[in-house]
Amino acid sequence: MATSPTVHIICSDQHRNGKTLLARLLVDFLMLDGRDPFCVDTDAPDGPLRTFFPGRTALADFAAITGQMKLFDTILAAPGRDYVVDLPARHTESFFHTARDLDFFAECKRTGFRVFVFYIVDNSFASLKAAYALQREKGIDLFIPVRNMLVRSHWPENEGALTIPFLAAPIASAISNRRFSLREFVNGDPQGLSPDMTPQLQSFLYEMLNGLNGLEPMRAPSPHRLQ
Amino acid sequence: MKPTLILVGADKGGVGKTTVSRALLDYFARKNILTRAFDTENPRGSLHRFYPANTEIIDLGNVAHQMRVLDTMETSNVPVTIVDLKAGNLSYSLDLFERIGVLEAARNGMFTMGLFHVVGPSIASLDEIGEIAKYLSGIQYVVARNSINETNFFEWDEATYRKYFSQIAKTQEISVPKLNEMAYEQVDVAGVTFKDFIDNRAADGSQGKFSFVLRGYVRKWCSEIDAEFAHVKMLQDVLTGGRQQ
Repeated sequence: MATSPTVHIICSDQHRNGKTLLARLLVDFLMLDGRDPFCVDTDAPDGPLRTFFPGRTALADFAAITGQMKLFDTILAAPGRDYVVDLPARHTESFFHTARDLDFFAECKRTGFRVFVFYIVDNSFASLKAAYALQREKGIDLFIPVRNMLVRSHWPENEGALTIPFLAAPIASAISNRRFSLREFVNGDPQGLSPDMTPQLQSFLYEMLNGLNGLEPMRAPSPHRLQ
Repeated sequence: MKPTLILVGADKGGVGKTTVSRALLDYFARKNILTRAFDTENPRGSLHRFYPANTEIIDLGNVAHQMRVLDTMETSNVPVTIVDLKAGNLSYSLDLFERIGVLEAARNGMFTMGLFHVVGPSIASLDEIGEIAKYLSGIQYVVARNSINETNFFEWDEATYRKYFSQIAKTQEISVPKLNEMAYEQVDVAGVTFKDFIDNRAADGSQGKFSFVLRGYVRKWCSEIDAEFAHVKMLQDVLTGGRQQ
């Protein structure tokens, strides 16, 4: 992953395809790596990402200008750390439109940020088309197409992508508990997860963290903790 | 280059005259054209609050003040003079300028004169156009439809609208786009020019603490205004002349 402060934007044109899970994994990954990420959850009022990281997440309703200020101004006012922005599908288009209008990505550069966009390509041609269009957006340092094996993806097999492996429903349900910390799990605390589920979750996280780590191969390989 | 005198007025208050004056001053500042402004909202002067360095508050009914505006156009070495007319004073001011020969001088080509007539959405605004038509010969007349206050101009009946405009030859029209309310308020509260707000500069010249988002909204609004002003011949003539100087 990026060594310099980075704004990570997690998005998709479709809902319920793993954006918040990916954002959550990314936050834990950064923290495992000794970073201090701050999150902006634009899925107000529910704030699913904030549920997992209440102390390090701002909830912003992107539909309101005050929400846009909370997002953009928060990031630009405190550079020097990583940010993870979880965008629900309904705000994805307007987010990039507003970012373009405000010249946000250029301002990020001036402030010393890199911009990484994680785009979950859903199982439709429209989603693929939207991904290709976003890939051409100016100011994005790294565009990362993401395949979620649970919902399938139209992203071509022969083109590189970050893959969210399949996760069985009972495990997904278990880790959806806000008290379950993926980071603590990686550090060896099963947090009550049944022994038969533990290896599956370990395998899932190993693959995920390896994938995230592969985005910037010079970094220390955090997934080894799971071996 | 001949000096240019731009009047900004309306016979109705609260339609955004001062906003249009500010937009014009900002526009010229961004294009590196020197301007001076006169604020006839005596004694308060809302334009003066934003441009204290180049705005004077005057009483247009006072002869000495009239001289400050008109007799110095040639000698001031400032190509553009903007006069922000007090609310409700448009007809009065044009009548005054007719009586003292200012309009005649403009018609004779001594200087370029333009009027930005800021109108609201009501039929009263159209009546204003009818009232001032008789003064407009030889003046570049621009109707500025101001959307800043969420007004809806499509409420105007098109036939009625045309009837009024048919009285005036060569009317130019611009639409002042809507600026986000919060952004507008913040510029107002800061008491700075739109340009300084965008550049994050406070009224005392120090680094401002304005929201990046609101600055972005103002920047976008200014670029939309620039696109509107690009259609106004008088303004483009100033820019061309300004570069030639």
